[in-house]
Amino acid sequence: MSKDHHIFWNPIIETLPPEKLQALQLKKFRRILTWAYNKSPFYRRLYQGAGLEPGDIKSLEDIRKIPKIEKGMMREVQQREPFPYGDMLAVPIEQVTAFRQTSGTSGIPVYQADTCQDWEWFSECWCYILYAHGYRSTDRVFIPFGYNIFVAFWAGHYAAEKLGCEVVPGGILDTQARILKMKELKCTAFMATPTYVLGMADAAKSKMGIDPAKDLYIEKITCAGEPGASIPTTKKRMEEAWGAKVYDHIGATEIGAWSYECTEQPGGLHVNEAFFLVEIEDLETGQLITEPGKEGKMVITAFDRMAKPCIRFDAMDVIHWANFQCDCGRTFRIIDGGVVGRADDITKVKGVLLAPTAIEEVIRSLSELGNEYEVVVSKRGDIDDILLKVEILPGKEGEREYILARLKDQLRVKTNLGYKIEVHPYGSLPRYEVKAKRFKDMRKKGG
Amino acid sequence: MEEWKIDEMYDLIQQMHHLADELKKKAGGIQAVERNLDRILASIKMLELNVCDVKDVI
Repeated sequence: MSKDHHIFWNPIIETLPPEKLQALQLKKFRRILTWAYNKSPFYRRLYQGAGLEPGDIKSLEDIRKIPKIEKGMMREVQQREPFPYGDMLAVPIEQVTAFRQTSGTSGIPVYQADTCQDWEWFSECWCYILYAHGYRSTDRVFIPFGYNIFVAFWAGHYAAEKLGCEVVPGGILDTQARILKMKELKCTAFMATPTYVLGMADAAKSKMGIDPAKDLYIEKITCAGEPGASIPTTKKRMEEAWGAKVYDHIGATEIGAWSYECTEQPGGLHVNEAFFLVEIEDLETGQLITEPGKEGKMVITAFDRMAKPCIRFDAMDVIHWANFQCDCGRTFRIIDGGVVGRADDITKVKGVLLAPTAIEEVIRSLSELGNEYEVVVSKRGDIDDILLKVEILPGKEGEREYILARLKDQLRVKTNLGYKIEVHPYGSLPRYEVKAKRFKDMRKKGG
Repeated sequence: MEEWKIDEMYDLIQQMHHLADELKKKAGGIQAVERNLDRILASIKMLELNVCDVKDVI
């Protein structure tokens, strides 16, 4: 195991032996719990309702007694004062210096309040990520992101500055202007969703005659927002298109940036266990899962986010602990393959559990298919139908029957389901810049 | 773990925190002092998370 301290943002924390890490977690959990109990009317009501006080938590096992919070509760509490956050807030409103909100893909957006210290903390979480991805002060980092109300790459920008990188904000430039600027400035790294990483490469090749792998200088790409960078076939496509290493990280507006790949790329992501407590619960029984390989739902606590604490948040992400170690020397545990899906996305179709990421893995493994696809699940009478829309790359249409036969075969093997497949003209399916919406379950809309 | 001087770093970080608090008390409402100290204290907090928190578990 390597102990080269130059690969760590903080070697003290990232190499703590597990028992010491657990002692740190307990200490920090009790601190944020006490803070929330004393400062946030919402949390005080929640814990008093459960008959609990911070002093009742004496071990990591005791943490399981603390009530969980859900996104619906965050939305509901926003109806209370102080506007617009509600009484989950644990600081006077005048101390809030930053507003962000969730995308609202699963309902009304959740508003996130942060103080100056919270925002410094969010950037600090990202420093762990970017340093593990190999960012250094010699990098020129391009951020092709429309800086706005969504948290996305804001903290990545500030963290890159903190690392000493030179940051180029891509802001409102369009895709082609961004590519030209990356080329002109010989940028060495950038951050984007997997969908946009592939979309930029497509645009560079098809509209500008630029091959990113040969004509640009990108060495590393940091992904967020979608699971693609942890899906091997999608990661491979991105790495080939850019001639660069692609790294994943996971975070959320209301949580923080809690997990990251390292340059060893062991097939999973380290959880920043000094800043976050990740619990995995069985999807049906709710029992704690500690053994590797068993999928469950993540419940997460951010230890150091103060304005709007995030304590035992039922994030709906489906993950599992890895049964392998990483050679990088970090002692933070690894989640195997990143976020496998969301508990509210993994759905039963024809009686079989289906994770949308499994479909993406198959599509991206077939080199004759374009990057875009769409899945529509509907109900005809009592029978579920799955329609999969794909694009065949220009010049490959002559192999259509062969391609579709392989696609159907592999989908059956990977997902145990049969699909109706529609081939759409190349370039006609929707293209996305931020989070793609490729899975549509019409049954939920009564359709 | 001895290669890192955690105890010494801890003491210096606490001194920095104390100095920033003392300066804030003397700021007399000067925003240019108070607001810059808020930023400094936020950075000191990151040092506390990265170093001081670990002192008693290591």
